[in-house]
This record gives sequence, structure tokens and C-alpha cells, in this order.
Amino acid sequence: MTSDFFHPSIAFILVAAILPFLPGNRRWKWLVIIPPLCAIYAAFSNSPGDYLTLSWLGQTLKLGHVDRLSLIFAQVFAIMSLAGILYSLHVDDKGQHMSALLYVAGGFGCVFAGDYLTLFVFWELMSIGSTFLVMLNRTRESVLASFRYFLYHTVGGLLLLGGLLLRYKATGTFDFGPIANAAAQNYDWLILAGFCVNAAVVPLHAWLPDAYPRGTVTGSVFMCAYTTKTAVYVLARGFQGWEILAIAGTIMAVYGVLYASMENNARRILSYHIVSQVGYMVAGIGVGTAMTVNGASAHAYAHILYKGLLFMGAGAVLYSAGTQKLDELGGLAARLPWVMVCYMVAALSISGVPIFNGFVSKTMTISGAFEAHQIFVGVGLELAAVGTFISVGIKLPYFAFWGGKPTDFKRELKPIPTNMYFGMGLLAILCIAQGLFPQILYHYLPFEEEAFAYQPWTAWNVLQACMLLGFSGLAFYLMRNVITPHKALNLDFDYFYRLIGKLLYWLISLPAAFIDNIWTNVWNTVGLRGLMGSAFSTVFFDRKVIDGVVDGSAYSVKGIGFLGSLLQNGKLQYYLGLMIILALGIFAFFWY
Amino acid sequence: MSHDTEKQVGEAKLGALGSFLDRQLSPERIRIWRIVFFLVLLVIALLNLLITNHHPHFGWDKYPFFWVAFGLILGVVMIFLVKKIIQPLIKRPEDYYHDL
Repeated sequence: MTSDFFHPSIAFILVAAILPFLPGNRRWKWLVIIPPLCAIYAAFSNSPGDYLTLSWLGQTLKLGHVDRLSLIFAQVFAIMSLAGILYSLHVDDKGQHMSALLYVAGGFGCVFAGDYLTLFVFWELMSIGSTFLVMLNRTRESVLASFRYFLYHTVGGLLLLGGLLLRYKATGTFDFGPIANAAAQNYDWLILAGFCVNAAVVPLHAWLPDAYPRGTVTGSVFMCAYTTKTAVYVLARGFQGWEILAIAGTIMAVYGVLYASMENNARRILSYHIVSQVGYMVAGIGVGTAMTVNGASAHAYAHILYKGLLFMGAGAVLYSAGTQKLDELGGLAARLPWVMVCYMVAALSISGVPIFNGFVSKTMTISGAFEAHQIFVGVGLELAAVGTFISVGIKLPYFAFWGGKPTDFKRELKPIPTNMYFGMGLLAILCIAQGLFPQILYHYLPFEEEAFAYQPWTAWNVLQACMLLGFSGLAFYLMRNVITPHKALNLDFDYFYRLIGKLLYWLISLPAAFIDNIWTNVWNTVGLRGLMGSAFSTVFFDRKVIDGVVDGSAYSVKGIGFLGSLLQNGKLQYYLGLMIILALGIFAFFWY
Repeated sequence: MSHDTEKQVGEAKLGALGSFLDRQLSPERIRIWRIVFFLVLLVIALLNLLITNHHPHFGWDKYPFFWVAFGLILGVVMIFLVKKIIQPLIKRPEDYYHDL
């Protein structure tokens, strides 16, 4: 425990905890900017080492394991949290801010976790925070999606938990470090599966395009940055050089692009591109050379910035125009010009166009793969680059902002709050700065010496990117009538998740229904007759005993009343006579 | 007439960048942009004769225009494959899962 480490999660959790107790006069909004600033300070001031070790239940928990890999992820998480908070500052719903803060706190916790138990706790915190970021959109569609999301991540978390407990039983330690592919045990595969759920590795990916388009406008901006990239971080820490990840990553990169090419929903296109882009990182980790791990980390950094910006741009269109379906949009470029500009900065970044940051991170991974003689991986990633430019670089902005339509003056547009532009502007500037000056990114890569050995800005690299992207652009131009998006749901692996869910539902409900059926028969024959019998005896008792007693007393009261009325007839001689009889009676009683 | 007045009301709200973008939508401007696009592509392709790949990683990438063909052909094939073959097979109504 040294004093020069500050855990960013503390600030996020603290602010999230006091937020509900503050008065509702919006002044609390200044408070939510503080944690990101603390996090940025922490990311630049923390130095490698082990901090914040706790002894708990006989275990040593390491909450602050800091090295170059964790620092670069912490740094981009911190910058993204500031941009995300700026973008969401107009939101008055405290619940959304709290969920976002807790979610980001979970991300930082995972990045600094030195053991599996700490990792698991923060892993689940992220899962809960992000579930609420979907649910708080408060539509039926979003609430249902958030339940599916939570169920799915619970399953992923249980895989991780099972793996880490079995691992503890076998090795006697919760330490979280590199695992050699050759010596992998079953529990390592369980842990890997848990990580792969969050990394959206195909075919475990379908939760992502299901939930992210249904989150709140601001919530999805946070979600697109942290869940998958935390998974990339833990894969980079534990599973470098696992051959299977290189193949899985390449498949992800191409698969995401194919689905993005047919989607109509803007934020779902972007979601499929998370799958695709995370594929580059997973592939880089799977190849496992210093250059590709650097490439994966650089790409994670660049990706968080431009993907956040893409979700901000698409979110701003949704916020303003009220729809994110491309076939309903178009003709908006002149009416939302700065949203278009910011979106295009991000779109060109993700496509790897020179000047923008995707160019300096994507080419590093691809060159690394080729240099490691992984031709399949390298060519697959180049193919994904073609599809990326076609679907996110051209298709989405073309149909959202132009669509071959004149400027749409009729559409009612909700004015976009200034703070949204601040968030977008911050990320747009960073995307361009990193592209022009790669050193500001390479300086922080995990393998520092190798990082500067790679030079992205060579004449050939620039020309190769221009050829690849320019002529993919021509392909779009030639096929623009084919690629026009239409309303449809495209079946994905979540079809099978729902099938598995239904099967489990039947497995529980069918035996329950069977038992219920038997119980109904038993009840009809035994229970119901018993009840009828007791009903009859109650009726008998009621008629004969209770009625008898009540009726009898009523008759006697009536008789006494009749006698009384006979006596009280108002004639004095009768009263006198009665008095004499009573007096004689009393006299006789005492005399004898 | 009604469209013009609407447009003027709208244009009054457009900023400098917005009205610039609006002007680019006229047929002449679109034609100019298209020519610029093709010229840029031509220049890029011709540059490949001057600047070549000194470190080809697999056989075909040593030839000039390889990445031109890669982007164009795979782009066209990918769009055709996805929209004309894959999507018709997996397309369903939007509310297929009854969760909208």
C-alpha cells in the first residue's frame, strides 16, 4: 500500500453513491464531471507496481496491479469517460448517470485487477451497470432487451466464476497472469469462454447487436467503449498467442462486416462493427507477437475513441430526428452539418483512412500478422477493412445524411444540446491528432521498443490504404442500388439463444405442469370430496344446533314479551292485585 | 411555390456549412463531385506504378493494382453476396420475436 496510487473506481463509485441524496436542482451535474478528471489524472500519474492489496477470507486481493498494459487501457477509459459524461450532461435522469458511473467504475476495476476474484467482482459490476443503461431507455423493447442482456452476461459471468474456482482448486491461487496455450487446462478454457462472451466472439456475440441499439442515446456511447474492450484487455493479459483467438478474431472481423452491410438500423450497424473491430484486436492477441499485441492495444485505444464518436453521431441523429432507421432518414447533411462532420471523422478513422487514427492502429495489427506469416489473418483483416469502409464509412452516412434526397426541410428536428457537441468535438480532435502524430499513441503501448520500430506513415502504406479504400468506394458507387437498406430483421445467433432459453423454460415448466396435473386429479377425488363432506356437516350443524338455539331463545323472548304485554294493560286494579300477589309470595318465601 | 418558401424558411436556419452542403446537392455540383471522385481514383491507381510494395507478403501482392482489384472486386462481390444471397435467406419481419 503506497500513497502514489489512486484507484479511479473509487471516485466513480463515490459520486454514484451520493448522487441520489442530492437535491434535484441540476447543480449535481457538475459533480459527475469530477470522476473522469480524477481518472485522467490517475492514468497519467500512476506508475507500475502492485498497490491496494487486501487480505480477505485468507486471500490476498490485489486491487491495484499496474503495468504498461493496464495503464494504456486505463488512459483511454479515462478519456472516454470524460467524453461520454460531457455528451450525456443534458440528461436529467440521475439513474442513468449512476448506472454509467458504476459501469465505468467496473471497467477500471477490471483493468487494475491483479487476481481473478477482484476481476470477477468488477466484471459483474459492469454487467449490472450496463443492464440499467439499456433498461433506462424505458420502452418495452429496451426493457426486454435488458433482461436478455443481463441473463446472457450472467451466464458468461458464471463460466468465468466456474473457471476461476476450479483453477483455484487445482493451483491454489487466484493470481491473474498469462496462461500458456500448450499447458491449458479445462478451467482455463472455461475462463476463456467467459471472457469471449464479453469480447463478443462469434458465435457468442449476438447479445451485442441485440442490446446496444436499444440502449439510451447516451448509455450506448458508454457501453460501446467498455464491455468489449475490458474483455480485450483481459484476453491480452491472459491469453496472448492462443492460435484459436487469431482464427476467431479473423472470423469476427469478417462476420461483423457482412451483417453490417445488410442492416437498416444505424446503431445496429455500428454494433456489428464492434464485433468486427474487436475481431482485429482478438486476432492481434491470438497471433501474439509484440507487434500484434501492440497493434491490438493501439487499436483498442483508437477504437474506443472513434467508436464512441460513431455512437455519439448516430445517437445525435436518433435524438434529433427520432429514428435510427436508415430507410426513414436522408437529406439531413445540411440540417445537421456538424453532426455529419464529426460522424465522418469517426467513419474515416474506423475505415483506416490516412490522417485518422484507424490508419495508425489497424495497419500495425495487419502488418504484424503478415510479418508473423499469418496470411489468412492478414488477408481476412484487409477484407474486413473493405467491408468496414463500405458499410460504416459510406453506407451509413450516405443513407442517414444524403440518401440521394434533397435537403429535408420538412422534418421536425429536436435541437441538439451543446454538451453533445463538446463530447463529439473532443473525440474528433483526438482521432485526428493520433492519426497525424502516432507517437502520442505509440508512446504508451505495452511493448515500447517495438512500437517505435513500426512506421505507419510510409508512402506505400498511405498509397495501399488509398487504393484499398478508394476502390471499395467505387464498389459502393457501382452497387449503390443493391445495398440500399430496407426494413427487416436479419436472423443471427440469438435465434439459437432464444431456442436454448425456450428449451430450458420447457424443461422446467413441463415437469411442473405434469405435477400440477396429477395434483389436480388428487384434489378432485380426495380433497374436493373432503371439502364437500365438511361443508355438509357444517350445514347440518348450522341448521340443527345453531338455528335451534337461536330460534328457541327467540321464541322464549317472544313468550315473555307477550306475557309482559298482557300484564302491562294500564288498569290500576290489575297492578294492585299483582302487587298483593307478589308481596304475599315474598312474605311466604321469607316466613317459611 | 410552396416548396420554395419552405426552403427559404429552412435556409434561414441553415448555418454557413449547412447552406454550403445544401448547394452541393444541385445536379451540376453532383456531376463535378463525381468527376473529382473518378480523377482521384485514377491518380491513386497511376501512383501505384511509381510507388510499389517492396515487401510483398504473399504471391499476388507484388503486382501493381493488386489492392485496386482487391478493394473493387471483393467490395462488389461482398455487397452482391450479402444483399442478394444471404439476406433473402435470413430476412424476417421486423417484429419476428414479438418484442417491439
